[in-house]
Formats: sequence, C-alpha cells, structure tokens
Amino acid sequence: MLVLIFSRVAIMVPNVILLTFLLFAAVTSFLGSPAAIMLGEEASPETIAELNAKMGFDQPLLTRYWDWMTNALTGDFGRSYTTQQQVAEMIANALPLTLELALWAIVLGFCGATLINSLTFFRKFFQTFTAVISIIGITVPNFFLGLLLIYIFSIQLRWLPTTGWAPWSDGVLRHLTYMILPVMTLTAFYFSSFTLVYKAEYAAVRNNLFIRAARSKGLSESRVSFRHILPNSILPLITYAGLSLGQLVGGAVVTETVFSMPGMGRLLVGAISARDFPVMLAVGMVIIVGVMVLNLIADITYSLVNPLVRTSA
Amino acid sequence: MRQLSPRMILGLCLLLVITCVAIFAPLIAPLSPTATSVNVFGAPSGQNLLGTDQLGRDVLSRVIYGTRISLQVGASAAVIAVLIGGPLGLIAGFFRGWIDYVLVQVIDIFIALPGLVLALIITAMLGSSVLNLSITLGVVTAPTVARLIRGQVFVVREMLFVEAARATGASSFWIVRKHIVPNTMRVVWSQLAINVAFAIFTSASLSFLGLGVPPPSPDWGSMVRDGTSFLSLRPLLSLGPGAAVALTVFTFYLIGTSMNAAASSNDH
Amino acid sequence: MNRRELMSAVSALILTASMTSGVYAQEAKPVQGGSLNIGFISDVRTLDPIQSTQWTERQILFLIFDTLVEIEPDFSLKPSLAKSWEFSDDGKQMVLKLQEGVKFHDGTPFNAEAVKWNLDTRRDPDGKSSQKKQLEAIADVVATDEHTVTITMKEPYPPLLALLADRAGLMVSPTAGEKFGEDLGSNPVGTGPFTLGQWTRGSRIDLAKNPEFWQEGLPHLDAVTFNDIATNAVGIQRMSVGELDFISQLDPLDTRLAGASPDIEMVKSKSGLWYSLQWKWDAEPYNNPELRKAVAHGLNRERLNQIIWNSQGIVSNGFTPDGLWWTPTTLASYEYDLEKARQIVKDAGLEGTTLKLAAPSGDTLRRISELAKEDLDAIGLKVELAPVPQSEYYAKTVAGEIRFTPMRWTQRADPDGLVQFLFASAGGANSTGYKNEQVDTWIEEARVSTDQSARKALYDKIQLQISEDKPYMPIGFSAEFYAMRKVVGGFTPMPDEIPRFRYMWKSQN
Repeated sequence: MLVLIFSRVAIMVPNVILLTFLLFAAVTSFLGSPAAIMLGEEASPETIAELNAKMGFDQPLLTRYWDWMTNALTGDFGRSYTTQQQVAEMIANALPLTLELALWAIVLGFCGATLINSLTFFRKFFQTFTAVISIIGITVPNFFLGLLLIYIFSIQLRWLPTTGWAPWSDGVLRHLTYMILPVMTLTAFYFSSFTLVYKAEYAAVRNNLFIRAARSKGLSESRVSFRHILPNSILPLITYAGLSLGQLVGGAVVTETVFSMPGMGRLLVGAISARDFPVMLAVGMVIIVGVMVLNLIADITYSLVNPLVRTSA
Repeated sequence: MRQLSPRMILGLCLLLVITCVAIFAPLIAPLSPTATSVNVFGAPSGQNLLGTDQLGRDVLSRVIYGTRISLQVGASAAVIAVLIGGPLGLIAGFFRGWIDYVLVQVIDIFIALPGLVLALIITAMLGSSVLNLSITLGVVTAPTVARLIRGQVFVVREMLFVEAARATGASSFWIVRKHIVPNTMRVVWSQLAINVAFAIFTSASLSFLGLGVPPPSPDWGSMVRDGTSFLSLRPLLSLGPGAAVALTVFTFYLIGTSMNAAASSNDH
Repeated sequence: MNRRELMSAVSALILTASMTSGVYAQEAKPVQGGSLNIGFISDVRTLDPIQSTQWTERQILFLIFDTLVEIEPDFSLKPSLAKSWEFSDDGKQMVLKLQEGVKFHDGTPFNAEAVKWNLDTRRDPDGKSSQKKQLEAIADVVATDEHTVTITMKEPYPPLLALLADRAGLMVSPTAGEKFGEDLGSNPVGTGPFTLGQWTRGSRIDLAKNPEFWQEGLPHLDAVTFNDIATNAVGIQRMSVGELDFISQLDPLDTRLAGASPDIEMVKSKSGLWYSLQWKWDAEPYNNPELRKAVAHGLNRERLNQIIWNSQGIVSNGFTPDGLWWTPTTLASYEYDLEKARQIVKDAGLEGTTLKLAAPSGDTLRRISELAKEDLDAIGLKVELAPVPQSEYYAKTVAGEIRFTPMRWTQRADPDGLVQFLFASAGGANSTGYKNEQVDTWIEEARVSTDQSARKALYDKIQLQISEDKPYMPIGFSAEFYAMRKVVGGFTPMPDEIPRFRYMWKSQN
C-alpha cells in the first residue's frame, strides 16, 4: 500500500518539475523584455537596457529557472512587476476566494446531481428534462451564462448586485449575496458534467447482477436506488470530482472575470495581459501543483477502494 | 444499419443551418460587418435588428460573419488535434511497452491540466490570430485524441489477436473492416465533433478574456466582451453573440454525443 | 435632419444642461467632515514620488505630499510650499523662499535642507528617479538659509519652475527617505493634507486627514479612499448605488451609462488628452511626405470625433489646446478629402502599400486604430491591425518595434515639456525619429529665453514647422468627463487631468 502511494508521488515530482520548467521557459522566452513593463510608459531605451542587465534577464535559462525554483520552494515568488507587491501575498489573498468558489460549485453540483439523478429513475420525463438541462449546462459558455444571469437578476429584477465581491468580514449575508450569481454560473457547468457521468455510472451499476438480485428479492425501486446503487456509484464520482478540477479552474477564470472577483483566475488573466512574469509563473505553478496533487489523491482514493486496481500496476 | 436518433437529426439540422449561415454570410447579412457608422450604440431598429456596437457597426451582420471565424477555428483546431494526437496515439498503441508508458504519462498530464489555462498561456506566447488560436486549441485537444486513438488501436489489436488465434484466415480482416473500423471511425468522428465544440467554446472564452482574434474581425467572444460594459443599456450586444456561441457549441456537442451513443450501442 | 440626428442633438443638449448645472452646484459652501470614495482604474505601483512613473499615482501623491508650487486652471503658477521665488538677471539662478512652520507627517521640519535632499536625490546619477533627466538643467542646489533655497542652472531654464509643480516638486521627508530606503514606496511621508492609512494592494488605498496640515481650513474631508474598479462601467454602477462618489476619465460613451442615474452629474474636463497617430518618421514608408499627406487628407477626423467622443472632442492640427499662452496662431491644416487622398496615393505609386498599425488593447486607442484602418483602406492603402497589450504599446514604440500607432499625451505646464520631449532630435521621448535642425535650434533658444513673448514667437514657428513636417498625424483633443455624485463639491477641472481632492468636500453622506 505504502509502496503504491510512494511510487505515485515519486512519479509526480519529476512531472511537476518538467511542467514548471516548460512554463518558465515558455513565459520568459516568448514574452519579451519585462524591464520595459516594469518601468512603465515614458521610460527611455537606455534605462530599459540597464534594468534588464541589472536584474539578470540576460543570464542563461537554466540558471534563471533554478533561481526561481529554489526561491519558490521557500515561498518567495518575487514581486509583481505591476503592483510591486509580494507575489506570495497576492496569491494568499486570491486563493481563498477561488477555492471557496470552486468548493461551492463542487458541493452544490455534486449534491444536486446525485439527488436529482437518483430521483429521475422514477419519472421518465424527468430523465429527458435533466438530460436537456445538463447538455445546456455543459455547452453554454459560462461567460454567456454569467452575463445572462446578471442581466436577469441584477439589472432587470434588481435582486442582486451585479459584480464584485465582499469578504466574509463584511458580513455573512453581504458576502453571500455577492457569491450567489458566480456560484450559480460555475455550478451549472459542474452539475451538468457530473450528471452525465453519474447517469453512465448509475446505469452501469444498476445493471449489475448484484443489484438485480436485490430487486428480485422484492425491494422497492427507491430502496434499491438509495441503499444499494447510490453508495456504489458515488465512489467513481469522487474520483471524477478530483479529475474535473482542471476544468473547474478554467471555468473559474472566466467566472471571476465576468463578476470582477479578485481571485486566482483574474490574477492570472491580468498577469498575462500585463506580461507580469512573476505572477504568471507563480499562479501557473500553483495550478500545476494543485491539479497534480488532486489527481494523485483521486488516484489513490480510487485504488484504495477498488481492490482490483490495487494489484494491477 | 445506421439509425439516426432524434438527437442526431436535430444536431445535423442545426449544423446545416450554421454552415449555410457561414457560407452564405454575404447574402444573408444586411450590412457589412466592419463598416462603422456614427450611430454608436444604436438601439435595435428596423435597420439594425440587434442594434449597433461602439463603432456603429451592425451587430446582426457581425454575428452572422462571426460564424465563419468560429467554424474556421473549430474545424482547424480539430484537424490539428488529429494531426498531432493521431500519430502519437498510433505510436503508443502499436509499440506498447515503455514507449507507450512514457507517452501515456505525458498525455495524462496534459489532459489533467486545465485546458483554458494552457490555452491562455500558449496564446499569450504566440499572439492572437485565427491561425494561432487554431494551433493552440489543436495542441490543447490533441491529448484526448491521442488517448482515444490509442484505445482504438488496442481494440483492433485484441480483435486481430483473437481472430488470428482462431485461425480463420482472411475472414479476420473482413471482420476488422466490417465491424471494428466503422466503429472506430464513429468514435473518432464523435470525439472530433466534441473537440470542435470545445475549441469554439474555448476560443470564445479566450476572446472574452481579451486574448482572441484581433480587430476588426467580428469574433463572437470579443463582441461579448465589448458589450459587457453596456449590458444595462444594450444587452443584445453581449447576449446576441453569446447566444450564437452557445448554439454552435450545443450543435457540435449534440452531434458528438449522439454519435458516441450510437457507437457504444453498436458495440454490443 | 432625420430622427436619429435629432435624438443625438437632443441628448447632447441634455448632457450639456446637466453639466452646466453641475458647475453651479460647485458654488455651494464647503462642509467639514465626511469620507470621499473615489473609483479609479489603478496602475499604482509606488507611492514614492521620486520613483513614480504611473499615471494614477499622481492623484494620490498630490494628497499625501505638497509641491513647491501649484498650477492654476490655466497652467499659471501659484505658491505652495515655496511662498515666493525670484530669478537672477541672467536667468541662471532661482531663489525660492519657503513657507515657515511646516512639518512632515513624521515631525521632521520642512526646510531648505529638506528641499535640497529632495532635489539632489532625484538628480543622483546612480539613482533611478524618473525625474532625473528632467532636472538635468540644474547644476547645484544650495540651502542658503533655513527657509531659502538657491538653485543654480547650467543654462537659463525657465521651465524649471513649472516642473516643481509636478512630480519633481513633491517634497518627501528626508528622515523617512533614509529610514525606509527601498520601502519608501509603501511608507510615504510628506507634508500634505492626508496621510496613508491602509493600502490593500489591488483593492483600495485609504487616506486619513492630517490634522496638522499647514494650510488653514484644509482639508475639508476626514478621509479619502481610492477604490480599484475594473472598468468605468463597473464604477458607474457602484456610484449609482452610492458606493462611490467620484470617477474621472470617462468618455462620452461611459457618460451615457451615468446619465441614467439622477444622483450623478458630469463635469467636462478642460482639454482632454491629445490623441494622434504616430509613425516612424525617418523610416520606410513613413518617410515619404506624399504618404503622410495622403493620410492627412484621408483620415476623416470629424467622423472619428463623432463616433468616439460623441462630437464633444476637438479636432486639431497641432498638439496645443486653445487658451494657453503658447497656443499657436497658424498651423498647416489638412481637410478631409477622399478623392484628393486617393489621387495622391495613385500619383505617388503608393497603392496597396501595407501599413502595420498597432491596436493597443485599451478601448479608445483600439477604436482609433479600427477607424483609421477603415479610412486608410478606402484611399488605396492596406492597413493591417496588430493587437498589442496596452501596457506594452508604448515601450514597443520606443524600442522601434512598433512603427505606426495611435498615441496620446497630456499637457505639461510649460511648452518646453512636450515640445522638447517629443520633437527635439535628442528629446527623451522622441520615438518618431523626427529631426529638423532648424527646429532644434528654435527649441534650444526658447528653452533658455526668459522673455515670454520671445518664447511665444519661437513656439509659433516651431509648431508651424512641425505641422508641416508631420512626425505625427494629429487627431485632436478628447472629451473627458468626471462623474460625481451631487453631494460632492469643490471640484475644479485642471489642465493636467488630475483632480485636486484636497479642495473638495461632501455635503452629506
């Protein structure tokens, strides 16, 4: 068991290093001189060249990567070119928001999907209804959905604020009113993809002999559903939750931009627009490490629960 | 025997409509998509059914012409994905062993990474243009294609192996050709359709974030972005092109998933 | 006129009416107390005036610090920390007499030594101050006594005083400078009416009233908060629910959004920014005077003004707005003539010439590029738009990577500011490669002359020559607006587009 975990972790580490190196190389090679951005408008070419030399932008790639990586591991991601803030600080401020948003979406999407789909097997029309809703949820781009929700609920009905974000310290209710629309937008997608996977799982489990046996004993449909099928199909879904986090990050980027929320997504987009390398690299690394770790956990959980997988490599 | 499910029919009809709009854009669009006018942020009227944008251009015409760009990007991205992912999948499936293992590791990593973030970074590096967007999205979706093709190669191998073991000679190839290959193709086509949906979805998102096709091209995502500030006054500026994206993505997804359903049901 | 034109004429009238009533509202009496919430699209990096380069930083710096002199709405100068000044006969020496009894926020007394420290730090050749080049004219700064500073220049340089009304004149506490070093940008200490409370980067900057401010009766407000807004539209929406009180740099399209709310009034800025198309004057194909002439006649600037600024901008053939002492009397002018432009292109064999025009991502500049492309494509040229992030377009132009781009500049208090900067062949911001030796001579003469009428005559000649040589294709001055809630008072638009919040008040919350 421990061997399994250890080997998985051992594979992950070089992956992370490779990816972060690729990211670093890509960002620094392609995106031009950062000195010009740091000095802002109205800086002369001499000052720009001077700064480039001073900050060591003319050193070989590997050296720069090594410097950055060793600093990053101690938590020092340097200073943002645009705001001069410590990047670690910026991330510490932005990450909780994105995590919260993602968590809401996962929890609500998960619960919603499992509930509704456990029920649909009773009423056939419910099935088509959910199918349609989930396809819409998956295909409608979240920026469109977000704007639509803003238009309906904030502009026309005036029930909710349009954009922005209030921290918990401003009051629970206030915080929640700002979160409702973004969460709805992100959840729609998650709910939909969950539903589709769930339906497949559910159907597969249902056909399982073991379940058929339970039903032949005369148990009612609902009993079979909730007591037997549900527990068995939840497991793969937990794995899926971890794996789909990647897509969720993408969704969060757009959602945060639509709703002007100061999270990791907006941080990344802003950094890319402004060619703010330290922030781009740091956010990129956080995302890479985060995604890989979650995948790892999902992997391990799955193999822990499914003994068959454990024995095969 | 190919039966077309209602979903499939709906999807194909929509695809037909969208393709016609793209091809016959100059005939359908009432005005030029790039001609500016002094009627800035005009309200929807008889002349401008969806109103005009910040440079006085007709939104409806821009949405219609935008179909061309979206289909271009979507199709090119899917083709590039196959060109990159296909060979990779074939190699992995054919050679198996450690080559396969390494390739799978690499592919899995890229599948796990958020597609949009990857696309963001690559687009930032390459710069924005229809070609670069297609390349970016092709690269981002190539791993799924590779995985898929690899899986199909395995299926074919198994079948061949089994058939060879049964030593029925020529009929094994016949079986492969009659059952396996069509099924494989259906799976590949369905994934392609889904990839096109994803490419259009993502390129619109990239444009919305400000990293998409350069002006003055009538790109749906950029149009949504430009209209966001004026959502309260002129909602159709954003909601119009946004709906177009949703509809197009929906169409391709529908086609892709109904093909998938058909493929898997034929499997048994 | 048809219905649509009537509607826009009427809405323009309504807008003007609401704006004039806004002016009258400013005549009310100041109210003490209250907190002003400003919304701005921030590009603040540091609050150290010596290192400051960014546009929005000045709004905040002008509250925490005082300058040696201040500008009036017509760019003339009035005393601030320097209560009087005198030039020597040969124009090479300037003697400043300082206010007495002024203290920095950390208790350090403000005196001649402090001024010397400020100017010397900026001039330090090993330092990185953004004002180092501006102050090159200074040979030496001496604190002749406690409240007198004598500045000696290498050559007579009249623009120096005007520079001391801007960043170069913002006085920082020397004690703080020594104490904080690199971190001075996060710990600003000045003599101004407000002190820095909290700075939540990327979100807001809170300033609190300085109860010991040296000017009696000021400031009126207890606190000023600068809130980051993503776009003006978001800011206006927040203002309509009372969260924000003031937003600057709105364009006429933004004002449409604000017009919907009865609580908000708009004030038009004095002259806006100067917009133009800039090209690499000494490189192909822009070094061909026929091409430049064709563009000049082919660009429909009136229409551009109509579309981008709702006809509220001012089309101009030069870079100086009306009403300043150096506004030129005559300039070469280019009326929009499509046929003429087409003919010039044909005759010069320029048909189909490809021009790569940068399209910076910011709204206004991008729209200008798009409209320019349309116009120039129509006269037989082929324009390709090259998108570039707003944060990079200027640096790339300076580096020569971008050769044709829309550009904008704000006015300076002294004509030498823009003229020398942009048009002298050795000018610090001369990215066009413009070189005219006669103009160089005139610029040098005008710099060192202390006779304003002589200077004006020279600047007239300079500006006429530039309008003929066309290192830029001038478009005009933008229409910029300030939006504020009706409860805000005491606002006067300034020609450098920086609101002077220290004089403002709020009549209720």
